[in-house]
Amino acid sequence: MLHRNAFWRTAFALAIAIVPKIAGAETRFSDAEVLGTPPAPFRIVSVKTRTTAIVQTGRGYQSIAGAVSGQPGSQNLTVLQPQIEVVAKQGERLTHTVWAPVDIVTSASATAIDRRRTPVDVISTASAINESAALDWTTDYKVDADTNVFVRAGLHLEEPYRSWTFGLGGSKSFAGGNTAVSASAIQMLDWLDRFQITGTRIGRASRTSSNVNLSLVQILSPVTVAHLSYGLTIQEGELGNTWNRVPLLTGNWDSELLPSQRVRHALVGRVAQWLPWNGALKGYYRFYHDDWGIDAHTAELQLHQRIGRALTFRGSYRHHRQSGASFFTIHGLAEARLRTADSDLDLLSSNAVGGHLSLRYPWPAWREVEFEVGYERYFRSNDLEANVVTCSVGFQF
Amino acid sequence: MKRAALALAWCTLSGCATTAQNQRARLADPMMSVTDDHLETYRKQKLYTTREGAAGGDGVPAGGGCGCQ
Repeated sequence: MLHRNAFWRTAFALAIAIVPKIAGAETRFSDAEVLGTPPAPFRIVSVKTRTTAIVQTGRGYQSIAGAVSGQPGSQNLTVLQPQIEVVAKQGERLTHTVWAPVDIVTSASATAIDRRRTPVDVISTASAINESAALDWTTDYKVDADTNVFVRAGLHLEEPYRSWTFGLGGSKSFAGGNTAVSASAIQMLDWLDRFQITGTRIGRASRTSSNVNLSLVQILSPVTVAHLSYGLTIQEGELGNTWNRVPLLTGNWDSELLPSQRVRHALVGRVAQWLPWNGALKGYYRFYHDDWGIDAHTAELQLHQRIGRALTFRGSYRHHRQSGASFFTIHGLAEARLRTADSDLDLLSSNAVGGHLSLRYPWPAWREVEFEVGYERYFRSNDLEANVVTCSVGFQF
Repeated sequence: MKRAALALAWCTLSGCATTAQNQRARLADPMMSVTDDHLETYRKQKLYTTREGAAGGDGVPAGGGCGCQ
């Protein structure tokens, strides 16, 4: 009996000694295991690049290149446009988006006409190459699950031209994320060299552009979402490039004369509808009005179709129609207070047809890789057409 | 005009019915984004707004940042 009691006493003592150690070993979690891994102080979320090449042909009355008296000049040009965008998160609330587009245009630059004292055109065949680059930084702060605010700053550099941008805005979602409203205000200041159409530099000019935007995104159903936005832009200062010419009734040319203010309104509506065969249909409509006499209607349809798991085809068609500026003319008067022969400000309609193929694929080293190639053909009623090839590569980490 | 008003009313009224988060799988698909990605948006703006005198309103100012608008 005594022997049996000693056995149980020893077993109990061993259990007391061992069990807490085992239990302790199981419950000893690190802080990271209990609280989760702390977010990296700074991490890159995505990097995306896009390169676009545009070859344009056409003729316009604002161009002197190759023009004989009373006839439009050449608007031929080639554009190479690489862009890069890097998105990074700093902590839990801050997101930085750094974007840098570059434009290389094989048209004459203002530098070219400044060097040559003969009348040459800066939009087409004076054979200079004009490079421009911009850097744009947007920082988004997540106030709470439904509210974001952002600030944006940018700088644009071009041979005869500088531009500074500053903006701020915010967005707020309601009704469990079914509705989101956002507002932004952007201020731009442009500083440019002023030229005569004969190519002589005659000092400097500036312009300001003040812009406010309001937008609403509304989920209409589990397969439909709509977007409505309104933008107001007020521009003041030198609103032309200063080297456009206007043919006069007399057979001579003189410089373009534009108002020093322009108030522009644009109302945009978009709808995206999911299609049962793993596709999506998107509609876009835009109405534009300004106080130079231009009213414009733009409509676009995009059809997205997934092919297999990773491949998506996007076909698009866009139509644009606008009235001309009230002072547009190709037979200007020497004593006119306002005049332009810029074909962009003429009564016109344009069409664009395009197709894009994109491949999204999970990659072992990254969360996703996306490749896209696309082609678009743009043609305008007043003798202008462009062929556009674009490709992009994006990485999500 | 009447059709446009009806379409607007339909959009507004149907928007009153909220869609729960677990019903938004289709809306989260990248194809359903109502706006293009930033680089594609810039490409299109550059193509169109430098060839048509009617720019702005898509969340960006008209003019500025480029000597040709």
